[in-house]
Amino acid sequence: MTPQLDLLYRLADDQLILGHRNSEWNGLGPILEEDIAFSSMAQDKLGHSLQLYGLLHQLGEAEPDTVAFTRNAPQFHCCQLVELPIGEYDFSLTRHFLFDHAELLRFEALATSSFEPLAQVARKLRGELKYHALHANTWVKRLGTATDEAIERMQRSLDFTLPYALGIFETTELEPEIISTGLFVGEKELQARWLESISKVLAQTELQLPDVLIATPVSGGRHGEHTEHLQPLLDEMAEVFRLDPTADW
Amino acid sequence: MINSHDPRMNRLGLADAAAPAAAKPALDQFETYEVFHQKKENAPFTYVGPVHAPEADVAFLFAKEQFSRRFACTGLWVVPTSAITVTPYVGDQESAYDALPPGAVWTGLEPADTTEAQSAAYSAGEEDYDIFHLKKRGKAQVHVGKVRAASGAEALQVAKAVFGEQRPVVNVWAIRSADILRSDDDDRDIWASTPEKKYREAISYKVQDRIDRFKNEQPQP
Amino acid sequence: MYGSASTHDLPTNAPTGLENEDPTLLATFEARIAKGEKIEPTDWMPALYRKQLTRMIEQHAHSEIIGSLPEGTWITRAPGFRRKMAQMAKVQDEVGHAQLLYSAAETLGKTREEMLTDLINGKSKYSNVFNYPTPTWADSNVISWLIDAGAIVNQLANAKGSYGPYCRALDRICAEEAFHLKYGHDAVVHLATGTKIQREMMQAALNRWWPAIMTFFGPSDKMSVHTEILMRWKVKMASNDECRNQFLDMYVPKIWEIGLTVPDEKLAKNEATGQWEFTEPDWEDFKRVINGDGPCNAERIAVRRAAEENGAWVRRALNASKTERKYVQPLA
Repeated sequence: MTPQLDLLYRLADDQLILGHRNSEWNGLGPILEEDIAFSSMAQDKLGHSLQLYGLLHQLGEAEPDTVAFTRNAPQFHCCQLVELPIGEYDFSLTRHFLFDHAELLRFEALATSSFEPLAQVARKLRGELKYHALHANTWVKRLGTATDEAIERMQRSLDFTLPYALGIFETTELEPEIISTGLFVGEKELQARWLESISKVLAQTELQLPDVLIATPVSGGRHGEHTEHLQPLLDEMAEVFRLDPTADW
Repeated sequence: MINSHDPRMNRLGLADAAAPAAAKPALDQFETYEVFHQKKENAPFTYVGPVHAPEADVAFLFAKEQFSRRFACTGLWVVPTSAITVTPYVGDQESAYDALPPGAVWTGLEPADTTEAQSAAYSAGEEDYDIFHLKKRGKAQVHVGKVRAASGAEALQVAKAVFGEQRPVVNVWAIRSADILRSDDDDRDIWASTPEKKYREAISYKVQDRIDRFKNEQPQP
Repeated sequence: MYGSASTHDLPTNAPTGLENEDPTLLATFEARIAKGEKIEPTDWMPALYRKQLTRMIEQHAHSEIIGSLPEGTWITRAPGFRRKMAQMAKVQDEVGHAQLLYSAAETLGKTREEMLTDLINGKSKYSNVFNYPTPTWADSNVISWLIDAGAIVNQLANAKGSYGPYCRALDRICAEEAFHLKYGHDAVVHLATGTKIQREMMQAALNRWWPAIMTFFGPSDKMSVHTEILMRWKVKMASNDECRNQFLDMYVPKIWEIGLTVPDEKLAKNEATGQWEFTEPDWEDFKRVINGDGPCNAERIAVRRAAEENGAWVRRALNASKTERKYVQPLA
């Protein structure tokens, strides 16, 4: 695998799986208006993954539909964070907060990537990601300073989710090359920026960021090792498509 | 447990028969904020509808997706409904200003932007108010300008002097400018990709060719 | 998405209460409507007008939020990116429509809390078609195309009604529905002109849904004092039969042209009268389902209730930490 493919697959698979997961909330949200907002962001994630699979296709990989709907879990490069079931709203919001901060910073960095087609996509997504981060921050600040019940829930979700979130930054063997060719600043640098960014928001709440240095990242996703949740998700997602993968749906 | 065709619902584990639910507590759905959008640069802000939200920042998040996800937008304002001063509605050919009870006598429009006049007005307890007109029943309130006044009621009187010649004006809203949460010009890019989301536009679904091809393939009777 | 099939009109012998209204105010109100002007929330209006509109807009709102569920059934399984994203956007729009309509109803004095309480306790009705299941992807497509098509016939008529906030909401809804209709048609055409599996799935879904589609606009209107008044006040804009006939006129040819059959041997247009003839729907069954005994009634309500209950802590938290404000009805 080339550094470009390696990076693009990780990004695209993250977006596809999280977009899919978040779409499960559609019609089940805690407030009508929030239901709508959360769905928009899930659609955006699907849109991002489609653009990234489009870049992969230009590099010689299969069509986006084929790549998204016919692979099995071991062929996916997403982090395990995005595979987890939606749980309750505190978990889904916490995941959204932790993931979208990383996403915003990642695409900010990619805007100057040496791979110009990716840099273009990254620049285009800027506005969308800004809204996602604004949404996440507003919710975390509101709930993280509200009732004891809400603070407790959010804290529990944060404690549970953080090790998975650290898995976002799992590297592959191609990391040195990805950095040296100017494709991307690298996961270590991204993680540092991310930590600073989420800390600033959490500092405005009563939530405590667990000690990142002693947390064990949940990794493996970037190497095709996944939770037991991914394969059922893929089977469900492709249930209709796989009735006839050659048909035009 | 209810067995659904929807895998999401099966994951919720819905009980077969539930006891009647308690009535929702008051304000379970929060108060409302009224939302105004700007379709394109330099266009006046126009009323689009309310959202239910606990605070203005949340109202803004909600309004952005509820009222500007499908159509072009360059700006958004949200205001607590309770902060808006409203005239009665009059007929489509009339002016709501004529129906205003006589109020404080207004002494003419000062040059609005001179620092001196402004600071004098502010020190006298006056503030900026944004004024909106409805031109026809069933349509939407549109921003017409600002006045300075010490209260919503007074703002309507001042607006009558400034905009009262316009006809028809079916209904007027006055909002203290400080009560409006406005999108930042620097954040306009949050709407930049809206036109690219073609999958939710009718124009992307062109299926006539496929229908014609199908018809041609059918054996002729 | 809405059809008159949900509107429980008042019993024909119920009092109109008009004799208790101030004759001068009533005359002004009626003159305004006759002139083609809209009624706005703070205008004087007869109690019957307020009551009937509240009921109608509230039911319409419930139909949107419940109506998002049968298509939502396929949201995680839509085949391919194009369908997946559009299905999400469409279901999202239905929730958005509910939001618009609850707000319009709220301007008449019933709070959103009260409306949602009535929905999850089964006290309010919604369009009966959503009490039927969508066992395949093609069922979802039938709704996207034909139920939305029916709803558009209805909504375009209602958008010419007399209540300002409802008209504003409907204008916005109709603009969004243009996408739904095209998307639904596109999806159905792909299946109907596709592989054997796809064609069979499509025809089976249409066969399942046709009886419900024929009831979508409700039974023939019984002309009563109420109907006459509500038409004069531009609350009811078109008769159920007119809407049904218009729908059949527009869509039966489109169903036929893609090789699908309609499971009703009697269905044909009488060119002399311009009216479609068809097998009379089973209105007894319709009543039974609307009163709670349909295949999905329990599930639809249970889902809404679960959503409300699971989100309660979120709303409690936001409510506890906000600035105190006085509740006022939305303005328009």
